[in-house]
Amino acid sequence: MNQMNTEEPGVSAAVTLRGLRKTFGEVTAVDDVDLEIRDGEFFAMLGPSGSGKTTVLRMIAGFETPTSGEVRLGDRVVTKLPPFERDVNTVFQDYALFPHMNVLANVEYGLKVKKVGKKERRERALQALRSVRLEGFDGRRPGQLSGGQRQRVALARALVNRPKVLLLDEPLGALDLKLREEMQVELKAIQREVGITFLFVTHDQEEALTMSDRVAVFNAGRIEQVGTPAEVYEKPASAFVAGFVGTSNLIEGEAAQSILGRPGVYSVRPEKLRVETDLDAKLPEGEHSATGTVAEVVYAGAATRFVVDLDAGGRLVALQQNLQSSSMDVLKLREARVRLVWRREHEFAIPGPT
Amino acid sequence: MSTIATPGGPVRRLAGLLYRRPYLRLAGLLSAPLLWLVVAYLGALAALFAAAFWTTDVFTGEVVRQFNLGNFQELWSQGVYRTITLRSVGVAVAVTVVDGVIAFPMAFYMAKIASPRAQRWLVIAVLTPLWASYLVKAYAWRVMFSGTGVLNWVLDPFGIHGPGYGLPATVVTLAYLWLPYMILPLYAGLERLPNSLLDASGDLGARTFRTVIWPVAFPAVIAGSIFTFSLSLGDYITVKIVGGKSQLIGNVVYDNVGAANNLPFAAAVATIPVAVMVIYLVAVRRTGALDNL
Amino acid sequence: MRPTRLALVAVAAVSLLAAGCGGKSGGSHHGGTDAAGFTPPKIAALSSLGQGEGQVNLVSWAGYVEDGSNNKALDWVHPFEQQTGCKVNNKVAGTSDEMLSLMKTGQYDAVSASGDASLRLIASGTVAPVNTSLVPNYADIFPDLKNKPWNSVDGKMYGIPHGRGANTLMYRTDKVNPAPDSWSVVFDPNSPYKGHITAYDSPIYIADAALYLSATQPALGIKDPYALDQKQFDAAVNLLKEQKKIVGEYWSDATKTQQSFKSGDTLLGTTWQVIANGLMGEKAPVQTVLPKEGATGWSDTWMVAAKAQHPNCAYKWFDWVVSPKVNAQIAESWGEAPANSKACALTADKKFCDTYHAADAPYWTKVHYWNTPIAQCLDGRKDVTCVDYSKWTQAWTQIKG
Repeated sequence: MNQMNTEEPGVSAAVTLRGLRKTFGEVTAVDDVDLEIRDGEFFAMLGPSGSGKTTVLRMIAGFETPTSGEVRLGDRVVTKLPPFERDVNTVFQDYALFPHMNVLANVEYGLKVKKVGKKERRERALQALRSVRLEGFDGRRPGQLSGGQRQRVALARALVNRPKVLLLDEPLGALDLKLREEMQVELKAIQREVGITFLFVTHDQEEALTMSDRVAVFNAGRIEQVGTPAEVYEKPASAFVAGFVGTSNLIEGEAAQSILGRPGVYSVRPEKLRVETDLDAKLPEGEHSATGTVAEVVYAGAATRFVVDLDAGGRLVALQQNLQSSSMDVLKLREARVRLVWRREHEFAIPGPT
Repeated sequence: MSTIATPGGPVRRLAGLLYRRPYLRLAGLLSAPLLWLVVAYLGALAALFAAAFWTTDVFTGEVVRQFNLGNFQELWSQGVYRTITLRSVGVAVAVTVVDGVIAFPMAFYMAKIASPRAQRWLVIAVLTPLWASYLVKAYAWRVMFSGTGVLNWVLDPFGIHGPGYGLPATVVTLAYLWLPYMILPLYAGLERLPNSLLDASGDLGARTFRTVIWPVAFPAVIAGSIFTFSLSLGDYITVKIVGGKSQLIGNVVYDNVGAANNLPFAAAVATIPVAVMVIYLVAVRRTGALDNL
Repeated sequence: MRPTRLALVAVAAVSLLAAGCGGKSGGSHHGGTDAAGFTPPKIAALSSLGQGEGQVNLVSWAGYVEDGSNNKALDWVHPFEQQTGCKVNNKVAGTSDEMLSLMKTGQYDAVSASGDASLRLIASGTVAPVNTSLVPNYADIFPDLKNKPWNSVDGKMYGIPHGRGANTLMYRTDKVNPAPDSWSVVFDPNSPYKGHITAYDSPIYIADAALYLSATQPALGIKDPYALDQKQFDAAVNLLKEQKKIVGEYWSDATKTQQSFKSGDTLLGTTWQVIANGLMGEKAPVQTVLPKEGATGWSDTWMVAAKAQHPNCAYKWFDWVVSPKVNAQIAESWGEAPANSKACALTADKKFCDTYHAADAPYWTKVHYWNTPIAQCLDGRKDVTCVDYSKWTQAWTQIKG
């Protein structure tokens, strides 16, 4: 979170998208996207499948030509250039390693095509393999590697070309949970080491929030919000963002009127809610509350999730750390009457129609 | 529940037995095809080789089951058999090359460019000719290659005259007949080639066909070529229909079986294509094409 | 796993190929013993005709035993069954060799054998002599089909002849001028029709060349085109090698040669009358001629098995197929000259017998019916060995090159 949302003078844009549109027949995949990604940024494009994020990535990479609009890399307009004439490289979701070449040949491939001398080529390839911690694997075939190792080879193959921007398409999607968490940390580390812009596509909000400096949330071909993970999470710009990044927890319509005393749509994150069984206790200054009935209790080890049907209408989810309570205690709360309490600064008005 | 718990009839007991004895399961699965393979295929092949060393008694017409190298000496000493063998191999190679050149772009389009819907239709379109009779197709080409046929009608305005009946017509007709056998393995092979591999290659450089598509598709090309090559090498009907006055190995075998009743000699001739195929497969193995399968 | 799978596919492909090449199992005979010298096993002919046995098992060429299942208009089996009470079970054979092996199983009563199979059947004792007095219609059969080398031994008939045909010379009347009267137009290296000549694609075609040589090179002393010593044989083979240079294509099936003549790719060459008729029916300008050197041809004979289980029904069948009406029907549908002289009055096409020269005895003297060449010269020569059919086959391969 070292970057802020506001434009900082002096930081140049690595990638600039202007009015980018892409249609496939009748379907509009990407609709009028404007975006600026800064140099050295770790940038995530987050959205559900079919939201257009991968298509945007492919247009930046050069695998698709925009129907209209402009793609700029640095100061260069590359909208119509083939992939190999752009200063970007891609890490594919399925890694796309060449099965008939060994690891070293895979990594060397881009340099070989660019006619880099054999000695330098070898040195740079081995260096790239070192940087992804894959020394000694150069003679293996991709088929003999594990998923995580293939992922690193793909990374090395792209990095060895020293691109200005590295594009990653769901880079961790094919890995299991534990490996994914490891690689998240490692990708961050590698990015810091090489110091180039990483632009990655994911549908996993947690991944986007953990890894990136800034996030663009996509929905139906458009960008709903661009901001740091904290901004996107705590101040969602739309109901969609609120729902997609975390649990939505909306208070709207009559409920908003009766609980908050004003109309509109508001969002409160589950972990900001406190569950109280004493309905009549005095409410501290600066807090809001709502009474309701517990519809469901989900015990999840470290925390417990309460689903509460509000008396005023609507439903909220509250997440409570299991600081003292055991599963037996919390499970007893099912169908109990409770009061949800939160600080006013944690409720955010969501602009626009829901 | 009770019905499941009850040890049921013989079928259920057999199923239980098979479940507990994996070897029995495997034997049940494979014994019939293995028997078929050993008896029908390998047995026939062995009988063929054995017969090649026998002779036919000229007086009685009976097959004399006595080891004798006469048939092979005849094959070796008579230049005509070498000529025919070279011609047959040449035709098979030409057919394979023509099929490969035509099939590759077609299979590539089917596997990588066409929409899934179009893909289905194209597969059907490729398969449809296989439902038509071999003879009908060969005769259709015969009509086209005729001096007054479609081919000359198309070529005449350009001042070119078609090749008429002969080896070129044979190659064209065989290439047509066996084209699906080349397209389908290629299509299957290229379909398995992930799109991302093409993207990756485009991302890293521009020599996609030579360095990525071709090596990955090569085993499929080999699989297809085994079909087109062996089918062409064994064919004797097409050359009879459009080959004018030429003959291939298959015709020699046919003439010796059908007309001359000299089965041992026919068997000896028939070992030629078998030997050629073995050499071909060994050569293919040496290129390493089979390692990447 | 995957290389194994490919290897399996490869083995299967190779095996298929091998099966395709050597698949047809032979094991039947050819050759036999020579007509002039051998003594067939003593087998008595049927002395008197008894009751029909209720059925008869036949081996025949396609089209000889029709029960209306292929073409409703062609049915001479059902009337026979109604008249005699003999149910007909027929097995169609594709080659003379197949006929031979089928007959040797002993399960069949009678066979329609061609000249290249009949002697072998007689010599091996597979068929019995026929008591022609028990076949009333035999009396009306053209005399020049009786007691011939391919259907009799020592004046004893071994079968009932039922049809014959000649391999004539066909030409396009609009393109071939003047009308040919000699095979020289298809053998002369300077033939003006070079590249448009066709020849029959079978080793037996060597006999056509030998026949031509017997007229043009009397010094070779060829008397019988199926009995060639090495020198005569070499001459015929050389002639055919020369001929290959002017041949456009060889033919072996009727459709193919018809299409060729119609399109004009082929202008002249050897043919069967039935092929010519088909073309004339389509108004193609073709004509056939029996050249002055004569021609090769065929004559088929119904023979009865020595161990026939239903001899009475077989005899009834013989009499039936050479009865004037049925003989006419078979001959017309098959495209050959009938054997029964009275059949000519009963053909649907009144000119049929003229077209096929059925009663034209001088015509048939110029026709040399197919026979199987064997080492013992069929023309009776004892001082030389003749070239047998397996050598003919290998020579045919050499000729085509």
